[in-house]
Amino acid sequence: MSLTFSLAHLMGGIILLCAFLQLSQRRLAAMVTLYQLEALVLAAAAFWQGYAQHEINLYLTGLITFALKAMLLPWGLREIVQRFNMVRAVETALPMAAAMILGLALIGIAVLVVLPVTMHAISLTREDLAIALSVVLLGLLLMIVRRNALAQIIGFLSMENGLVLAAIGMPGMPFVAEFSVALLVLLAFLVVGVFLLRIREHFDTLDISGLEDIERRGR
Amino acid sequence: MGNSIGLMFGLPGQGMHLHLDALSLLFVCILLPQTVAAALAGMRGSFTFWLFVLGMALALLAGDAFTLIFGFELMSAASWLLVMQGDARPATLYAGVAIFSGACLIPALFLPVSSLAFVLIALGAGAKAGLAPLHSWLPRAHPAPPAGVSALMSGGMVKVALYVLIRYAFVNLAPAAQPWWGVALVAAGALSVLIGALRAVLEVELKTVLACSTVEHVGLITVGLGLALYAKATGDAALSGLALQAALLCAVAHGLFKPLLFIGAGEVKHATGTTSLNWLGGLMRGMPRLGALMLLGAACMAALPLGPGFAPAFLLFHAAIGAAATGGILARIGFSGLLAVLGIGGALALAAAVRLIGLGFLGRPRSLHAAAAEDLRRGPYLAMALLGVLCTPVALVPGLILELLNPVIMLLAPQADAPPLSYAPLTLLLLAGLAALAAGFVQTRWGTRGLREVAAWNGGFGRPPAWLPFGDPHTQASATGFAEPVMRLLGKGLLGTTLADPAERFLLLPLFRLQTRLIRLAERVRRATIRERLAFVFAVLVAFLLALGLGQGG
Repeated sequence: MSLTFSLAHLMGGIILLCAFLQLSQRRLAAMVTLYQLEALVLAAAAFWQGYAQHEINLYLTGLITFALKAMLLPWGLREIVQRFNMVRAVETALPMAAAMILGLALIGIAVLVVLPVTMHAISLTREDLAIALSVVLLGLLLMIVRRNALAQIIGFLSMENGLVLAAIGMPGMPFVAEFSVALLVLLAFLVVGVFLLRIREHFDTLDISGLEDIERRGR
Repeated sequence: MGNSIGLMFGLPGQGMHLHLDALSLLFVCILLPQTVAAALAGMRGSFTFWLFVLGMALALLAGDAFTLIFGFELMSAASWLLVMQGDARPATLYAGVAIFSGACLIPALFLPVSSLAFVLIALGAGAKAGLAPLHSWLPRAHPAPPAGVSALMSGGMVKVALYVLIRYAFVNLAPAAQPWWGVALVAAGALSVLIGALRAVLEVELKTVLACSTVEHVGLITVGLGLALYAKATGDAALSGLALQAALLCAVAHGLFKPLLFIGAGEVKHATGTTSLNWLGGLMRGMPRLGALMLLGAACMAALPLGPGFAPAFLLFHAAIGAAATGGILARIGFSGLLAVLGIGGALALAAAVRLIGLGFLGRPRSLHAAAAEDLRRGPYLAMALLGVLCTPVALVPGLILELLNPVIMLLAPQADAPPLSYAPLTLLLLAGLAALAAGFVQTRWGTRGLREVAAWNGGFGRPPAWLPFGDPHTQASATGFAEPVMRLLGKGLLGTTLADPAERFLLLPLFRLQTRLIRLAERVRRATIRERLAFVFAVLVAFLLALGLGQGG
């Protein structure tokens, strides 16, 4: 009982830490590595929850997470980083320190919201939910404070990890939802990969400020 | 006279109801002669015109709110089509006003009896009637369509809007009546009188002059209605009846002479190709019949004694004096100010009428077209003659008309003991003649002895100067020049040098600026970058979560 909670919370905490550290990283390669670690821990968490809740579906979720998010997507991301020669500093729209302070505030908000709202729910899911919401908010924040399209994708993927974390902590969440979410993410990744290639062809960079300039000047 | 008919069509399950009572009957009677006149003046072949008339009749005879609003909007839509046939630009402005009016009226008709309902009714009906400060569309839109339609819009449509105002302010919303309703109407009416009369003196186009004069008369009627409403709310039955008499009689008179003038203006346009007073002149020679009828109409417009416009003005002054003699100090000061405004309005209306006749019909022709004008065609002549003949009883035996108005006044102000009008035109004429004789005697006996030679006005038929033997017509005073003293005295202060209506400067222009600003904002949102949009959504999400968390915590 207590081991179940402790381990689940530990894994949630590691995921949250990974999501938070992504905010502080300047290098894309490091961000990808952090994302991979996040996904690995998420897969482990899914296995653990499956073991604790005696749910076959959660094992399947863990398997998908492991294969897709911990292996395939980081490999693809590294490939993109290599091919576009982007092993260098990431341009940020907000100073690192400010982004991290904002991130801390967001975690505070998530805890502030989830803990009182779910006062009467089962205690197993409460902290997990707070952590998951924090991860989602941090992913969104990452998408906003980075100018680089690849960093925004990583933010999006990290956000999705938060959703999956919430889903596996919740007993009775249908498997179809997770499966479709995973598939959606893969599709989005493919589409965005093609999109990145196009941006690269046109602007010789993945910095989308060029796009924003065009948009601002009017079509 | 409470006759109702249910119609077999309309809202499912409810149908439409027609209802005829004294008030509807009065306004139908106002509408009827001008419809006949407009049809005679050449509009009888137009389907839209008859749709317009149908809408007005439906609104007047409506027995339920749906029928009323249906007729009202039918009238607006049809008249918009007719205005658009004349000129597209005022038509757009007109459509905007009509939509505003509908947007105010539709909720008001279904609101419970309250002051809010009255405010909405006053805004909606006032905008359609051309009540200041929502009047600036009227001098643009009314002159645009053909003369028959202009006549019916000025004489009829405005009355339908006023009918809605009367119906709701005096009958349907009567249980919630407050004195400030009347005061608000009086203020709006006084403003209309001032601006309408002033612009009527300053405008150059004949039809625009007439439209501005319509604004003035709507103001007069509304002042009467406001006084009646005020008196009714404060329990002064006699004053209420008197003010209602003034307002309704003014509506009757205006419904007769304004279509007459508009049809005449249309004939002027037909004969000379222009309605600009600066290019007319001397029409009295070429078009004697039109000239005589227009003279009659102008005399009515100026509220000259023995004309149909005089009795209502007389009653209105009577009512205003009565109101100024009662109530607290503020009411006394306010109604005394109203008297001054009405006086200025009357003087300006007289100036406008003199200018209309003096520059348009007297003097030497200012253009070849004006010199070669031929007299009235048969249809318009019949129309104008019909209206002119109907003016006679209103002018000479207003007491009789007021007797006929009694049931309406009983309906609107049940406790009013309508005093029969103490107004005898012939006695008045005698008194006025005596006064004139006395003034002349004083002038000759004690007036200044010194002589001063000036060019004679000579009824406008001035001789050309000696150095222009063939007479350049432009050596006469122009319409703009004639209005110059008024322009200097009042116009520059109230309207500014550009002659722009204050309502346009203070109402339409800010609205326009607001629209531009909103468009810029929308454009800014449309051009936001991906990150900005994300940030916006994110900020909203965080704000929501914060509210949720704080709400739960507290």
